[in-house]
Amino acid sequence: MQASTVAAYFAGVDIGSTMTKVVIVDSEDAMHARVIGPTGAEHRRLANKVMEDALAESGLQFDAIEFVVATGYGRFNVPFADREMTELTCHARGVLSQFPGAKTIIDIGGQDAKGLKLANGKLVDFVMNDKCAAGTGRFLEVIADTFGLRFEDLGEMSMESTQVIPITSTCTVFAQQEVVSRLSEGVQVQDILAGLNDAIADRTTNMVRRLRVEPDVVFTGGVAMNLGVVAALKKKLGQEVLVPAQPLLSGALGAALLGREYVAQKHARNEPVATRERRLIEATFFST
Amino acid sequence: MSQAKHGLARAREICEDRAQRVRDLKEEGGTVMGYLCIYPPLEMVTALGMTPYRVFGNMREPVTEADRGLPVAFCPFVRSCLDLGVKKEYEFVDGMVATHACDAMEKAAHVWERMVEHPYFHFIEIPTKVNSRAEAVFKGELLAFKKTLEHFARQEMSSEKLKDAIALHNEQRSLVRDLYELRKPDPPLISGPETLLMLKAAMSLPVGEANALLREVIEEVRTREEGPKAGLPRLLVWGSIVDDVRLMELIEKAGCNVVVDDTCVGSRAYWKDVDVTADPIDGITHHYLADIKCARTFFEVAESEKSPISKDRSSDLDARFGYLKHMVDGWNVDGALVQSVKYCDTHGFDVPDVREYFSSIGVPNIYLEHDYTEGSLAPLRTRVQGFLEMIA
Repeated sequence: MQASTVAAYFAGVDIGSTMTKVVIVDSEDAMHARVIGPTGAEHRRLANKVMEDALAESGLQFDAIEFVVATGYGRFNVPFADREMTELTCHARGVLSQFPGAKTIIDIGGQDAKGLKLANGKLVDFVMNDKCAAGTGRFLEVIADTFGLRFEDLGEMSMESTQVIPITSTCTVFAQQEVVSRLSEGVQVQDILAGLNDAIADRTTNMVRRLRVEPDVVFTGGVAMNLGVVAALKKKLGQEVLVPAQPLLSGALGAALLGREYVAQKHARNEPVATRERRLIEATFFST
Repeated sequence: MSQAKHGLARAREICEDRAQRVRDLKEEGGTVMGYLCIYPPLEMVTALGMTPYRVFGNMREPVTEADRGLPVAFCPFVRSCLDLGVKKEYEFVDGMVATHACDAMEKAAHVWERMVEHPYFHFIEIPTKVNSRAEAVFKGELLAFKKTLEHFARQEMSSEKLKDAIALHNEQRSLVRDLYELRKPDPPLISGPETLLMLKAAMSLPVGEANALLREVIEEVRTREEGPKAGLPRLLVWGSIVDDVRLMELIEKAGCNVVVDDTCVGSRAYWKDVDVTADPIDGITHHYLADIKCARTFFEVAESEKSPISKDRSSDLDARFGYLKHMVDGWNVDGALVQSVKYCDTHGFDVPDVREYFSSIGVPNIYLEHDYTEGSLAPLRTRVQGFLEMIA
């Protein structure tokens, strides 16, 4: 997509535990770039790499980006970000831009799961689970490894199950052992996968019920790409669950939009907008 | 020669090595009485010339010894305290007073007595209801405590001594209230972490010395140039024990001022004075049962006022949490952090109701939980920051 030179551009960088995401939007809501890359241990350097890719994809110079908001657990490590905001606020904003009727958001990422409650287009409450891998993407990754399968294939395979084998362990390590012992009993992989989806849906449902789930329910994060988990969640919640076309990007999109709103607000008040130098500085662990 | 420190610098110095003063006192022949939580009546300890010394845990020290005596899925604060006890961190303490402030402490009492072995150990039962029957039972408990304490100290606790001690502790309560008054303006004159340091220091010193330090700090923050910033969201922190300054720092670093709290190293013990009654034990009995608003006590609409069939939900919540409205209004609170250490049943059961109450009086709130380890604090940063974005 060729960007016009007069428009203003805003970037959102979402550094999650597993994936780093960048979205660039203009003042008319058009998305100019959406880039997803693995976070890894070097996420300070990777923020630069993903940003570079996003600029290349949009054909924009870095100088054309008016404001950058960083979010996600690695948000403190984006040297070129003008502002950092939590993934809670950014997710809410991103989802609302796509689903204005959203009241409940369930986000399951690589390492955490969270539930957000919205009222009148605003975040009003949230719950998070980020100390335990069970019920997150990491849980599915561990299981995919155990089976020698690709993470991306788990969802479709689980849809071929003929029965659901319940997985009762609530701990990832124990669940892995349970899965192995089920396999040795000759149970079909597909049926075990279906059981795992149910286990994730159970955990998530228990967590978000504290918020009193109201429709529309929107499901985001990497795990939302797993059709089996989406189906299990619908069943457990007893209601429709909406999934954006690119469920990984909600946080980065929200960050970009919030940056745009922040700048607009500053302009309206005739206040200066402080921004960092548009340079992809290699962060070191000694700078802040 | 090193310069003697004053005010907040002295409070900080004491918190870095809390036992420094009581170790000196012991060299001079003094007696140090350890205690857990805010329920042991310290007036009775002070009356016999002993120094009450509050026992805390340490988030930085992994629990390795206490698990020989306590289940693992158990209050991590009490586990940490016991662990430090077993590791002889509280060796300078001559005795321990524990109470049935919560079930965790009650269950841990025997284990403590067995595993830590102080020369003196006493456990006080506290009823959970507030009425004259409960007061009679509790007074009996306090009289039994008096007896063992007198025996241990080899001296009698006269009414005069006890009344003097009550006056000294009431003076401390009044000074702490004065300190909290200084958090009402914007900017507050003293930060949340500083207040916690001051109160932790006070719980490490003889009462008279703690009062002198409180006066110094009050004077200092009134006149200093640099203090907390103005214009930040003003938060109330509710819940179970916060004895680590880093938790308070983490909250404020997210961009807010903690202006008031309902926690037990915070304001909870200080709102009301002990009435000096003809038999001073009566005033103490009433105070510890009825005046301290802790989730451990079953507060409800007075029996005389309540309908025989059912209670009205909102007057019930008022009876339990009405004191929080006073804090919200007086300290101009923008939001409440409802926090608890994991497995704190006492506070955990109140969480849904206290959140309902905060919401009913228009105070946005979130719930935070940690497991009393250093590593469990970092995830709270995102929650607090998210909350501040939410109420902005």
